[in-house]
Amino acid sequence: MIRKTPLDRRTLLRLAALAAADHLSAQPPKQDPGAAGRKAVLVTLGGIRRQETFSLEGVVNIPRLANDLAPHGLFFPNVMNDGVTAHVNTISSIVTGAWQQLDDWGRHAPRHPTLFTYLQKQRHLGAADTWVVTSNKAVTRNIGVGANVILSKQLMVEAVERIILGQSPRRILVRDAVRDEMKAIMLAEYERIGWTMPSASRNVTDALVGGLTDFFDGPEGLTGGDEFTFVMAREVLRRLKPALMVINFSGVEVAHSGTYSLHLAGIRSVDMLCYRLWQFLDSEPSFKGRTTMVVMPEFGRDPDGSTTNGFFNHRTDTKICRLTWMLALGDAVREPRVEERTISHIDVAPTIGGLFGVDCKQADGKRIDGFAI
Amino acid sequence: MPSSARVEVAKELLDKLPRTFLPVLNQQLKDWDLLFPAEQRPIRATLDYLGRLDDSEREALLSPVKALEKRMNLPGWTAAKDHLGIEDTSVLARSPLYPEWRVEVEKLFDNINASVELPKSNKVVVSVLPAGLPLESAPLWPNLARRGRWIQLDRSFRSGLDAMVTSLARRPAAPDSEPVEHTWVLESVSHFSELADSPNWTVLSYEALAAARNEFRRRMNEIEKDLRSADETFDALRHVKIEMLLGPHLEADRRIREFIRALFLSGNGAVLFNNSFVQWGASEILRRAEPQALVCCFGIRPKLKPFSSLVLFEDQERANPVKEEPDPAGSLVDIQLLCDYVFLTTERLSNYEGRTLHIFAAADSDVILVVAPPSFPSLPSHDATVANITDMAISWLAA
Repeated sequence: MIRKTPLDRRTLLRLAALAAADHLSAQPPKQDPGAAGRKAVLVTLGGIRRQETFSLEGVVNIPRLANDLAPHGLFFPNVMNDGVTAHVNTISSIVTGAWQQLDDWGRHAPRHPTLFTYLQKQRHLGAADTWVVTSNKAVTRNIGVGANVILSKQLMVEAVERIILGQSPRRILVRDAVRDEMKAIMLAEYERIGWTMPSASRNVTDALVGGLTDFFDGPEGLTGGDEFTFVMAREVLRRLKPALMVINFSGVEVAHSGTYSLHLAGIRSVDMLCYRLWQFLDSEPSFKGRTTMVVMPEFGRDPDGSTTNGFFNHRTDTKICRLTWMLALGDAVREPRVEERTISHIDVAPTIGGLFGVDCKQADGKRIDGFAI
Repeated sequence: MPSSARVEVAKELLDKLPRTFLPVLNQQLKDWDLLFPAEQRPIRATLDYLGRLDDSEREALLSPVKALEKRMNLPGWTAAKDHLGIEDTSVLARSPLYPEWRVEVEKLFDNINASVELPKSNKVVVSVLPAGLPLESAPLWPNLARRGRWIQLDRSFRSGLDAMVTSLARRPAAPDSEPVEHTWVLESVSHFSELADSPNWTVLSYEALAAARNEFRRRMNEIEKDLRSADETFDALRHVKIEMLLGPHLEADRRIREFIRALFLSGNGAVLFNNSFVQWGASEILRRAEPQALVCCFGIRPKLKPFSSLVLFEDQERANPVKEEPDPAGSLVDIQLLCDYVFLTTERLSNYEGRTLHIFAAADSDVILVVAPPSFPSLPSHDATVANITDMAISWLAA
């Protein structure tokens, strides 16, 4: 069996300790914004193995997370997914705090209340304050019950398909045609492609059109589905300033087709996008000093040599598939450090709920010690 | 008894088997003629073995799996159910007891396999990187190199590849083996498809299968977001007539035809990317057909185009004015790991483990990596020609 060495404990601790020393001396004391002023952004990344990320060989794929973000954050190297290692089930489990066993196409709502529901009921937040922006088309309104749910990448897919299949007056896949097709679908047919926007308004539409325009005409240039998800999420954050946003990137899932180089490119892309997202949150007055960002893969992938064809899939009952990591940044981080004890995906909802003063009563997970709640 | 002779199973025995086994077993018995000899032999041997056990021995063997099934809240599959759809599999996989079930099933088959005698032979697997890769950009096969030995050739491997494959395919067949167990070639672009001149060569070319791949891709792209739609599409693809899409070499052989269908239906990028087709095809061929010799010729895949690449099951050429470009650097990264996977597949298959000679070569390079089993006589200690390596491989297959 070919084995890769995970980033060892000592290296992680050294990395965190060195950075923390620099960081702490330069930081002003934190002011507690109180539950009412807090905001949280939860980012899930699809299936990524530790060996391609937080390991001696893999750290090269995540320079921003490992070198620029982790030293300022609370890093959990041992996060166990004890549920069904499929996308909808895992994301549902994360946002409910209880392991879900649903069909993986997002047709059914989770069997427990979500973080969105708790926030709406206990904090009386409206839909405008809770958003899901996702690259994965199966993460539907059923998972984000009560929240605004934008399937950003699906909008691009729809536009591209309509042009390819001759269902649009636009015939060729060029930038302007795709942008115009996306805009047309977004303004007139967003519900048909699975979006739900209970807080739809002129402001919301302006934010979304702004995101679309930024994506096509902005300085970042035109790239893939995760980049579009990032730009849309950033635009919603900038203009609408929600209290809670869940962002899902899924570009790494190109692994299912067996192209390892593209899978690695997907990891490098989300590494950069998480960095840019944190830069944005840490510089925007509405978010700076009051926002916690949590980044976590949904699960790993299968081990090399498994009968399920290794990194292509994520369905083995193995540590490589189930064990992943989590990085928390910002408001809830008392001091940067590596927290080695094992936590699980279902601990995230009660913990984020705690930041907002919300009790996720039906969650099976526990609040994670170490967060400044 | 020839492996192809139909197997008869007593109803009493069927009734005593775990119910999660029945759909798959029924499907295998129904499609007996589509199984390869290497698949038929263990089924026959297993059923013979289970039939010979007395009731208490059989129950002791099967009871751990049956006990789990009782706690799994499975759908009401009848004894006549003859396949598991995606929805069935999904129900099984979502059960909290599924991991435990898998472990017990593996234990059960380990026990049965230890009691069943099947013929074994030496094997050779050749993995070939295409010309045009940036070989200087990274060490070749870093994971495998620790397990093998580099051999210097007198010239680049490309010059001897045709002769090597032809010699492997034309070597005398092993006694009691069938032609489909002799030599398989999986290739990205059609080359050996044109050279294959006997039933002992089975060649599957990604390029030559374009019509069938495109048809499968088109239909898969139409799957709506639910299990029913996926099951319906897959059911339709199980029955779609693919004969005319396969070309003259393959259309006549029903077993190969159905192998290709199953390969395309099993995912893992086989209808999307040339190198995934070669690797996943190799994995399935090794598992199912167990040929003595297998040659995997990887290729260079194109770069993904903007926009088109979002719809993976679509034809990149359709409606996209961007010219298709090869991606040699990305292909090299892909193939390096896929070569590892070909090797690892042989490590976990009992009929290949410890008896497979692996040759890893790059068309443009004059060194090859050889990973030989411990019982292999000896590797050349000095420079060699591709012909020397070929002779060594053929001797190993005959041993």
